[in-house]
Amino acid sequence: MTPARIAIAVFVALLAAGPLYLPPFYVTLVNYIGLYSLVALGLVLLTGIAGLTSFGQAAFVGVGAYATAVASVSFGLSPWLGLPVGLALTAAVAVILGGLTLRLSGHYLALGTIAWGISLSYVFGNVEGLGGFNGISNIPPLPLFGAAIQTAQDFYYLIWACVLLALAALVNLLNSRPGRAIRALRNAAMAESFGVNTAWLKLVVFVYAALLAGLAGWLHAHYLRFVNPGPFGVGYSIEYLFMVVVGGAAHVWGAIVGAGLITALKTWLQDILPKLFGSSGQFEVIVFGVLIILLLQHAGGGIMARVVRLFPPKRAAAIAPEAAPGLPRRAAPARGEAILEVDKAYKAFGGLVAVNGVSFEVRAGEIMGLIGPNGAGKSTMFNLITGALPLGGGEVRFRGERIDRLAARQIVRRGIARTFQHVQLRPTMTVLENAAIGATLRGRSGVAPATLRLDRAEERAILFEAARHLRRAGLGDHLYEAAGSLALGQQRIVEIARALAADPVLLLLDEPAAGLRYQEKQALAALLRALREEGMSILLVEHDMDFVMGLVDRLVVMDFGERIAGGAPEAVQADPRVIEAYLGAAS
Amino acid sequence: MKHVTRLAASAALAAGLALSAQAAAEVKIGVIASTTGPGASLGIPYRNVYTNLPPQIAGQPAKFVILDDGSDPSTTVKNARKLVDEEKVDILLGPTFTPGCLAVSDVAVEAKIAMICLAPVVVPPAKMPWVYSIPQSVPVMIAGVVEHMKANGGKTIGYIGFADGWGDLVLKALEATAGPAGIKIVASERYNRPDTSVNAQVLKLIAAKPDAILVGGSGTPATTPHIALKERGFAGTIYHTHGVIGADFIRIGGKSVEGTIAPTGPLMVAEQLPDSNPIKKVALDFFAKLSPAYPQVRNAFSGYSYDAFLLVQGAVTAVGTKAKPGTPAYRQALRDALEATKEVVGTHAVYNMSASDHNGVDQRARVLVRVEGGQWKLLK
Amino acid sequence: MNFDIALLLIQDGLTNGAIYALLALAILLVFAVSRVLYVPQGEFVAFGALTLATLQQAKVPGTAYLVAGIGAVAMVVELVAALRERRRQGLASSALLYVVIPTALLGLAVWLAPQKPPLLVQVLLTLALVVPLGPMTYRLAVQPIANASVLVLLFVAVAVHYALMGLGLVFFGAEGWRTPSFVSAQVALGPMTASAQSLLVIAASAILIVALWQFFGRTLWGKALRATAMNRTGARLVGIPTEASGRLAFTLAALFGAFSGVLIAPFTTIYYDSGFLVALKGFVGAVIGGMTSYPLAALGAVLVGLLESFASFYASAFKEVIVFSLLIPVLLWRSLMSRHVEEEHDE
Repeated sequence: MTPARIAIAVFVALLAAGPLYLPPFYVTLVNYIGLYSLVALGLVLLTGIAGLTSFGQAAFVGVGAYATAVASVSFGLSPWLGLPVGLALTAAVAVILGGLTLRLSGHYLALGTIAWGISLSYVFGNVEGLGGFNGISNIPPLPLFGAAIQTAQDFYYLIWACVLLALAALVNLLNSRPGRAIRALRNAAMAESFGVNTAWLKLVVFVYAALLAGLAGWLHAHYLRFVNPGPFGVGYSIEYLFMVVVGGAAHVWGAIVGAGLITALKTWLQDILPKLFGSSGQFEVIVFGVLIILLLQHAGGGIMARVVRLFPPKRAAAIAPEAAPGLPRRAAPARGEAILEVDKAYKAFGGLVAVNGVSFEVRAGEIMGLIGPNGAGKSTMFNLITGALPLGGGEVRFRGERIDRLAARQIVRRGIARTFQHVQLRPTMTVLENAAIGATLRGRSGVAPATLRLDRAEERAILFEAARHLRRAGLGDHLYEAAGSLALGQQRIVEIARALAADPVLLLLDEPAAGLRYQEKQALAALLRALREEGMSILLVEHDMDFVMGLVDRLVVMDFGERIAGGAPEAVQADPRVIEAYLGAAS
Repeated sequence: MKHVTRLAASAALAAGLALSAQAAAEVKIGVIASTTGPGASLGIPYRNVYTNLPPQIAGQPAKFVILDDGSDPSTTVKNARKLVDEEKVDILLGPTFTPGCLAVSDVAVEAKIAMICLAPVVVPPAKMPWVYSIPQSVPVMIAGVVEHMKANGGKTIGYIGFADGWGDLVLKALEATAGPAGIKIVASERYNRPDTSVNAQVLKLIAAKPDAILVGGSGTPATTPHIALKERGFAGTIYHTHGVIGADFIRIGGKSVEGTIAPTGPLMVAEQLPDSNPIKKVALDFFAKLSPAYPQVRNAFSGYSYDAFLLVQGAVTAVGTKAKPGTPAYRQALRDALEATKEVVGTHAVYNMSASDHNGVDQRARVLVRVEGGQWKLLK
Repeated sequence: MNFDIALLLIQDGLTNGAIYALLALAILLVFAVSRVLYVPQGEFVAFGALTLATLQQAKVPGTAYLVAGIGAVAMVVELVAALRERRRQGLASSALLYVVIPTALLGLAVWLAPQKPPLLVQVLLTLALVVPLGPMTYRLAVQPIANASVLVLLFVAVAVHYALMGLGLVFFGAEGWRTPSFVSAQVALGPMTASAQSLLVIAASAILIVALWQFFGRTLWGKALRATAMNRTGARLVGIPTEASGRLAFTLAALFGAFSGVLIAPFTTIYYDSGFLVALKGFVGAVIGGMTSYPLAALGAVLVGLLESFASFYASAFKEVIVFSLLIPVLLWRSLMSRHVEEEHDE
C-alpha cells in the first residue's frame, strides 16, 4: 500500500466512525463541509482542470435546492423525486448559461458568470411561487422505509456517501479518454487538432460541475429543510472558489481540504476573535480576507500542491499494460498516390500576406520537406492544412476530398496528425498520458462510462498503443514522468509519438529536430525512415539542413509566403533563387 | 390591573432574590444575532442589550453566549447547533432576521429547546411547542396603517418596498389587510437598499394616483423613496412601517418626512404614553438601566431583545428550583413556563402566551406615531 | 409612459450613469495597468461617502485612523522587503507615503473635524483621507504578486474587497448615512426641470473625466501609465517601473472611487457594504467598453445608468436581473470579436 492509499483509508475510516466520537455540533459542521466539498469538486474539474472560472456555482446549488423544495412542498412529490427533477433543471439551466458564456475567454468568462450568478439569485427572490426573499420552509425530510433521513447524523452518512462517490467518479473520469481530453482543454488548439470538440467538452464539464452543485442543493434543501435566496448569491460562489484555490485547484482532494479548511477557519475565527478583540462578529471577515491574500501570495497552488510536493505519488495513475488488443487501424493508401494536394493556398493577416498562392502535393510513402527562412510562412501553411487557421483562398485536398473548410478536429479524423512548432504538451500530465491524447479519436467511451470505469478494456488498448509509440521513439524509460520535466528536444519526440497514436496517414512535423543532440537526431531520422517504409507520408518543416537533406525525398521552398522552388534535394540545393533567399542567408 | 402586574413583578423579583441565595446554578442563554452582513444594522442593536445586561437573571447567575450569523440562514443553523450541543444553553434567543428564524426552528424542535425569535415570523403549529416569536406580527402593524387610512377616507394605496424579505412581508401584510378594508393596491414597486435613485419607481407610483403610499423599508434607506416622492410633488399621506422609527430617519429625511405616519411599539414614544399604560414604566426603566453603557438604547430592536429577556426572566422565576439548568428537564420546564406567560409587561407589549399563541401580543403592542416638528409624536 | 416621464428617467439615468462612468474608468485604468479586476473599487465609494457623512457630524472619521493603521502595516512590509533585498533606496519616500502623510492627515482630521469646516474643505479632507488607501492596497495586496495570472489577481481583489468591507464595518459601524444635498435648487432646462444636484454630479464627473484625459495626454506620468497599459515589459525596458505605475493607477482609482462616494452620498443612504453593488455597475460599463477603451467604457456606464433607470420603471423587482443580464450578450459579442484578434496575435 502506498502512503497515499493509507492516508485515504485512514481518512475514510475516521469519517465512517465520525458520529461515534464527534460531538453533535461537529457532525453538523462536517455535514456542511461535505455539502461544500461537492460543489468544490465540480469547481476543481471546471476551474482547476479545465481552466474555466465560474462565479456562479452557488446559483446552481440554488436551482437544485429550489427545484426539490417546490416539488416537495408545492406539488407534494416525494423528496426522492426532487433529486432527478433538480438535476434535470440544473442541467437545463447549465446548458443554456454554458452555451451563452463558455464562448467567453479568460476573465470575460469570470465576469459573465458573475453576471448571471447575481441575476439568478435575484430571480430566486422575485419569481412567484419561490417564496420570495423569505424562502420556502417546511421542506420534508427524506423518507426511507417508513422512517426518515432527518437528523444531522442521518445526513452525515448520506452527504459523505455522495461526496466520496463523486470523488471516486471524478478520479475515474480524469484517468480516462474523455478525462485526458478535459485536461487538455486549457490548450484548446492542441486538443482540437487531436479530434476533441472543445466547445462541446467545455459544455459537458460545465454541466458536470453544475450537477454536482445541484446535488449539493438537493441535500441542502432536505437537510436544512428551508431554502431562501441568501446562500445562493454570488458571495457564496466566491467562497466556493476560495475553497478550491486554498485547497489546491488542480487536485481532487483539494476540494475536500479547501472546504474543510475554510469552514474550520471560519468557525475557529468566530471562537477566537471575540477573545482577542473583545467584541464579536466584526473581525472575522477582515481576518478571512487578509489570510486569503497571504495564502495567495505565498502558496500559489494551494495546500494540495504543497502536499504533493512533499509526498510525490509513487505510482502514476495511468499505467500502460504489458499487452492489450490493438486498436482499429486506418486503411493505408497505395504508395505513390498523391494524398495531399495544396492548390494556390492564400492567407493574409490584415495587410500582411503570409501565404501567397502556394501549391504542392505530398505522395503516399514519401517524406517531403517544407523549408524556407524565418517568416516564410511555413507554420502558417501547416495551420492552413490542419484547419487551425481558415484558408483565405485556394484549395487543400486530402485523398481527393476538399478539407480546407473543415475544422481541425474533422481533419485529424481523416488521417492528418501534427506536431507544433512551440511544444504543446500538458506539462503536469505524464508522458504516457500526453501521448494517449493522440489516440482520442480511436476510442469511443464518453464521460458516463469513464466515471463508472466501464471503459477499462478500451483504456488499456489506448495506453498500450501510446506506450508502443513512445517506446519506439526511444522514450520507454520516461513513460511515467511529467512531460514538463523532459528536455525540450524530448518533448518534441513526445509530440511525434502523440501524433503517431492518432494512426495518421499523413504526419506533419513542425521542426521536430530542434533541440535534439546529434545522436538523438540520428535516432529520429531512423524512426522517420522506418515510418516511411511502413507507408507513412510525412511533411516536415525543419531548419537543420543536414537533417533535411539526408532524409527527405522532395522539397518545397518558401520565401515571403511564396513558393520559390521545389523538387529533389540536390536540384533544390543547386537552385540559385534558393541559395540567394535561404541557403546564402543561412551560411 | 396595573397594580396586579406590578405586584406580580415585585413578587417575582423577591422570589428570584430568595432563590439566588440558595441555588447558584448558571442559566445559559444562547443568542444568535446578525452583527455582520446585510442585517447588521438591526442585529447590532439586538445584540447590544445582551452585552450590556448584568450577567444574572431572576437573581440567578446567567451567561449570554452570543454568536454572529452574518445574516445567512445556514450559518444560523450551524450556530444554533453549536449553542445547543457545545454550549449546552438552556434557551435560544434570536436569530434577528426572519429567514434565519424559519431555518433554525427545525433545530429547536429537534433539540427540544425553546427559542424566542427576535424577528417577526409566523410560527406554524407543528413547531409551536418550541418556537416563540416576540415582535408584533407585520399584519398587526400594517392593520394599524390600513385602519388609519380607512378612517381618513382613503381608497387607494401604492406600495414601494425593499427587494428583500422585509419588503415581501410588508407587501403580503398589506395585501391581506387592505382588501377587507376596501382599499385597493394600485401600484407595487421594489427597490434595493443601496440604490442611488428610486425616481423611476416613484414616477410610476405617482402615475397610478394613489391616495396614500406605504413604504416597506427600514432604517434610513426608507427615506430614499420618501424624499423622491416629495420632490415629485406627491401630496398624499406617506405611511411607513415600524422599521423606520428612530432619530436617524428624521435626521436623514429632514423636512421631507414631516407628517409621516407609522406604526410602532409603544417604547418608541414611552414618555408620551399616559401613565396608566404599564408599558411606560418598563420602557423608561429599560432606557435608564442601559443608557449609561449603551446610549443608543432607544430603538425597537433593543426593545425586543429586552422583552425576550423579561420573558425568560419570568420563566426562570417560574421554574425556580424545579429543575437544574443545563438539563433537558430544565429546557422543558422553561418552555412550559414560557407558554404559561401571563400579563408580562415589556417595552413593546403586554405578553400573554398560550398553547396556540406563541406571539402573545395584542393591540396594546401597537401605537401610531407621526413626525411633527422633527419628532415622533404619538398619534392619539 | 409619456414624454415627461421619459425625460425624467433619462435625467436619472444620466446622473447615475455619470457616477458609474467614473467607476468604470477607474476599473479600466487599474485593469489596463496592473491586470487586476478591481472588485474593491466599491469600498472606496462607501469610504468616501461615509467619511464625508462623519465629517458633517463634526466627528473624526474612522478613515483617519484606518489610513494611519494600514500605512503603518505597509511601512513594516516595506521595511522587511528592504531588509531582505538589502536596499535603502525608496525607504524615504515610503516613509513619507505610509507614515508621515497618514499621521499628518490624522492630526489634521482630529483638529479640523470638530470645527465643522465649510463643505468644500470637508470634501477635500475626505478625498485626502481616502485616497492614500489606494496605493497602500497596491503595496500590500498586489505588488508582491504583480506577475500572477489575471485569475489569481482577481481572487486577491475579492479578498481585498472582503477585508476592506470588514474594516468599513469596524470603523464606520453598521448604520447607514446620507448627507444633505450640496445644492437643493431645481433648474429649468427647456421642457424639463432638473435638480441642481443631478447637474452638479454630471458636471463634476465630466470635469474629472476630462482631467483624466488631459493627464493621459499631457503629463509624463500619464503617458507612462498608457505605455505600461499597452506593453508592460516594454514599459519596464524603457525605464517605467511597474510598481510606480501600479501605485499611481491605484491612487487614481481611489480618488475616483472616493469622489463618486462624495457625489452619491446625498442621493441615498450608504452603508459600509453598499459600494459593491454600485461598483459592479461600473464593471458592467467597463466590460461593455471591452476593458480597453476609455470612451467606450464611459459610454457603457452611462448606458447602464439609463437601462437601470428604465428597468426600474417597467419592472423594478427585476431591475438587477435586467442590468446584469445585459452583460452576457455584450460579453459574448466582445469575446467573438476578440477571438479574431487573439488568433492574429498568435501568428
